[in-house]
Amino acid sequence: MAQMLTPQEAAEAMFNMVKEATGLRKLKPMDLTKNLLEAYGDRVDKQICKEAIKELVDSGRCVYTYFGGTYLELPHREGAAND
Amino acid sequence: MADEFPKTPLLDELEKGAWPSFVSEIKMAAKRNAASRDLLGLLERSYREKIGHWKHGGIVGVLGYGGGVIGRYCDVPEEFPNVSHFHTIRVNQPSGWYYSTSALRKICDIWERHGSGLTNMHGSTGDIILLGTRTDELEPTFSELTEVGFDLGGSGSDVRTPSCCLGKSRCEWACYDTMALTYDLTKSFQDELHRPAFPYKFKFKMSGCPNDCVASVARADISIIGTWRDDIRIDHDAVMEYAEKGLDIQKHVVNFCPGKCMEWTGKKLTIDNSTCRHCMHCLNLMPKALRPGKDQGAVVLIGSKAPIIEGALLSSVLIPFWNPQPPYSDLKDLVGRIWDLWCEEGKNRERIGEFIQRVGMGNFLEMIGVEPIAEMVAHPRENPYVFYEEYLVEDDGEEEEGQN
Amino acid sequence: MPEPTKKRITDIGPPHYEQFLPPAVKANYGKWLYHEFVRPGVLMHASETGDKLYTVRAGGSRLMSIDKIRMICDLADKYCEGYLRFTSRHNIEFMLTDPSKIDALIADLAKLGHPVGGTGRSITSIVHTQGWIHCHSAATDASGIVKAVMDGVIEHFQNEDLPAKCRIALACCLNMCGAVHCSDIAILGVHRRPPMIDHASLKKTCEIPNVSASCPTAAIRPGVVNGFESVVVEEDRCMFCANCYTVCPSMKLNDPLNDGVSIWVGGKVSNARHEPMFSKLAIPYIPNNPPRWPEVVDAITNIIDVWKANARLNERLGEWIERVGWPRFFQLTGIQFEKLHIDDFKHAGLTFKRSAHLMY
Repeated sequence: MAQMLTPQEAAEAMFNMVKEATGLRKLKPMDLTKNLLEAYGDRVDKQICKEAIKELVDSGRCVYTYFGGTYLELPHREGAAND
Repeated sequence: MADEFPKTPLLDELEKGAWPSFVSEIKMAAKRNAASRDLLGLLERSYREKIGHWKHGGIVGVLGYGGGVIGRYCDVPEEFPNVSHFHTIRVNQPSGWYYSTSALRKICDIWERHGSGLTNMHGSTGDIILLGTRTDELEPTFSELTEVGFDLGGSGSDVRTPSCCLGKSRCEWACYDTMALTYDLTKSFQDELHRPAFPYKFKFKMSGCPNDCVASVARADISIIGTWRDDIRIDHDAVMEYAEKGLDIQKHVVNFCPGKCMEWTGKKLTIDNSTCRHCMHCLNLMPKALRPGKDQGAVVLIGSKAPIIEGALLSSVLIPFWNPQPPYSDLKDLVGRIWDLWCEEGKNRERIGEFIQRVGMGNFLEMIGVEPIAEMVAHPRENPYVFYEEYLVEDDGEEEEGQN
Repeated sequence: MPEPTKKRITDIGPPHYEQFLPPAVKANYGKWLYHEFVRPGVLMHASETGDKLYTVRAGGSRLMSIDKIRMICDLADKYCEGYLRFTSRHNIEFMLTDPSKIDALIADLAKLGHPVGGTGRSITSIVHTQGWIHCHSAATDASGIVKAVMDGVIEHFQNEDLPAKCRIALACCLNMCGAVHCSDIAILGVHRRPPMIDHASLKKTCEIPNVSASCPTAAIRPGVVNGFESVVVEEDRCMFCANCYTVCPSMKLNDPLNDGVSIWVGGKVSNARHEPMFSKLAIPYIPNNPPRWPEVVDAITNIIDVWKANARLNERLGEWIERVGWPRFFQLTGIQFEKLHIDDFKHAGLTFKRSAHLMY
């Protein structure tokens, strides 16, 4: 039985995925979960992924964004923003 | 600009007439609030140019939540700096939209300190809408709202704020406790409401009877509509009372019955309950004489939505009769299975109703483990393009799964 | 980005409704027997405990200032022991146990500019969206048309003088934040010009595959325009839904020359008599004419007048049309039937007249 990832480790892995995809593709929370399940097999489950996303957002490393659907992205100044 | 009251000759036309004027409301707020003053000026410009002046924001919110705040920026901020940011906050309403004045005043006080002083009571989904504030006011507003017991509602690809009719609190037709169910589901699904994880939005609407006062059949992914299974309760003396007061029972009640299940002799009303469609027409006309039966529950329907993207849908029957009993685990389990499947297979921006259209209702039912029953369809299929799933091969005569 | 404040409270959900129920509502929860229409805008609910509760329904404007909410609270304190509620259609309801106070309350509401009505066979407040007040994709304003239409039909709010209830709704674009697609009369903001694409910004703000995929008719494909990686729209296939604009701000459809409203009729959500139905297209396009959209107001009052004059008691607008047929609806209202009324999206054939059941 492989060692399960902690939510913090899962969050770190997700953060790297978001970082790598930045500028190329926006990832939805469900994409991150699916990618993680694919990458780590039985070392993660949906509950860990859920906690990881919470960790990712609560720590401020990623933010939810919305354009017709909800995505997770690195914090940035949005295009529409005024000062 | 913002210090002076803008001239609004076009908007002023909308202060005329007997219906309450939203322009007067904005002007009321504008006496003390610069954002409302700029909103007046900006709206006057929209009326002159026949176009809106807003850009959609997609990133602002309160820490940790992915829903509850709608980002908005004005596209002419130099001219109207006080509505440069004009974000909306959705506040989860209490079931049935009842308030104590003390609770409402607390919300007003918070919004006086942190926003435009303008609200919608309520938004289309049912939330209290606090209309217009700056990014740096979001967190303080949220903090003060939670201090007085209010939380944000949903937005984005999440569970949207569930809403309901006033149910048993003031209606004799409510066949289940809509307000209790709505409160329970909202509390149970806080994570799904605040942290969007779905392909698209997901709405619950609870109506106590088939009159469907919250339009659940038209705009909820899960529509829960109260109904009953046994006989309509008749108070014959009260029927006579309606007749004596001038209600033409034959013409207005019996003739409009879609099930043609009523007879009126001029002295006595009889109902063949086996073909009653539970439409509510006769109860609506004679509330004192006719009441829903005692075996009460709800129809659970699935999949309605407005047109975007693949066309509008009405909800269709998933469970013909459900007995809602706290903690409603049977419903929550079913919804959990639906979400698991939809999250796994659903496309971006695909509502559950569209998902069902794409994969087929029969396949959908199989995937969530619900038996297909005749109540789910208006009629069986008319086209012969049947996806038979198995066929025989000559070798052994045993049924085998088809290869294609 | 917001800084975390100390001791954040999250995920508490809405306050429990019980603390907001007026005492008479709390005492009779689940015990109501029947109700009566006392007069337009006033309901009486009778309980098995013998209690009677009087509800006064006042029209609201949805967009309200906190100043107005406080004034309404003052009335609720004065007449209703400090409680009130709102309806699903933006009305404000005051609940009283003493019917002798009803007249005084109604007089006080009139002083605030809020008429009483919206019960029974009437028109009640119009459910609507944000329009130019707050929305980026609005093809028309919402509050302005609603105010003008309600001014025009207010007699039917204050009197129960129609064949059946009539639910009007407005959405300022096809996103329809509200159930306008099943309303007796729906006012729907429409764009009529394909997206005016900002090719220079598109690649920076949006993902091209997402933009392409957003189109229900597959009219959008990737393409290089003026040296920019962007998208190309096949204009013949655009039906102006603006879904592409929702996912990508560089696909703007808003256009003062072409935006306006369409009018849809005959929908309902209630199961009473006829099953729920969608609204159907009555008038494909009326240009925006602020501040009071007189053509929209006239079109709606005309439809209501024709329905009132011709329908049987109990017939909702859609039920009446179903009985007399769409040709007669167009004939009686004087609305010109044209090509745009005929559906040409998915399953359009189901909307054709497929029998000899015609009326002459």
